[in-house]
Amino acid sequence: MKPIQFTNQTAQKIYSDYITRIKRTTQPLDKKDQEEILMELNSHIYEGLLQLDPTNEIENLVNLLDKLGAPEEVLKPLVAQKKLEQATKTFNPKHIFKALALNLSNGVLYIVFAFLYLTLFGFVYLIIAKILHPNQVGLFFKEGKFHLLGIRNSHQVKILELTEVLGYWFIPTMLFIIVVLYILITLLLRMKRKKFTLLHSITMYYL
Amino acid sequence: MNENFLHKWKSQVKKGTLAFIALNVLKDHEYYGYELIEQIKKNTRIEIAEGTLYPLMNRLKKEGLVTSKWVEQTSGIPRKYYTLTNTGEATLSEMSNFWFDLEKSIKRIS
Repeated sequence: MKPIQFTNQTAQKIYSDYITRIKRTTQPLDKKDQEEILMELNSHIYEGLLQLDPTNEIENLVNLLDKLGAPEEVLKPLVAQKKLEQATKTFNPKHIFKALALNLSNGVLYIVFAFLYLTLFGFVYLIIAKILHPNQVGLFFKEGKFHLLGIRNSHQVKILELTEVLGYWFIPTMLFIIVVLYILITLLLRMKRKKFTLLHSITMYYL
Repeated sequence: MNENFLHKWKSQVKKGTLAFIALNVLKDHEYYGYELIEQIKKNTRIEIAEGTLYPLMNRLKKEGLVTSKWVEQTSGIPRKYYTLTNTGEATLSEMSNFWFDLEKSIKRIS
């Protein structure tokens, strides 16, 4: 992006601060989207100033930026939406958590999704518990029927006459379940995003 | 008269129709962001938070209703021009039908 040059130092400083705020707000996005948003808002500022009397640089700039709005507020829905697109496209957990965090304020459903992802940690916890206490963690059967997937202390295992059926296969099985659930939840998130985009455009962007 | 209610209602109507307004402004002409905002203000006398137009245009682009292209300027600061796509034109035409039907209905009952 080519920066705008001001003759007045204060105007230059106000402009630079605003550009920094745009950059900070769009930081979660990929480089291309960041540059696109920055260039478009920069063009808005430049074109706006051209229409005004150049002797009042500071006043013009302050008014223009005021009308444009605070980047943190104006760009938030755009950043949240773009991040969600990116996250569901890549399956990258880092992007997914960022996207959910940005979208949490946009509806209960995103909180449900955050909760679904969090449940995956339950399975991770079971794997760690299995390594630490191999006899107390697993898939327990009682008299040939499913009893429990999880943790039972040794005493209860004996009393209830439970049999752990997976042994160390428990760990790869849990890993498999985690991966499958992760993909399923992410696909659901993607579907949800597509289904509600139009609704979002109405409810989110012009509030 | 309930000023507060009226203000909120007006603001909701504006929010709900901004996409319709922007598409209408782009119907016969391509515009870059700043110019588009000026056109909206000039033609509708609606004061919009200017920054909200850019997320809106991004949304319309994603929905395939408009396309955009960067056009280099001698200043070195390019402009991003928006144009209505065929889908955009068809969608706008349906939106207009809906709008006129709604207007007729409202006139009938008011």
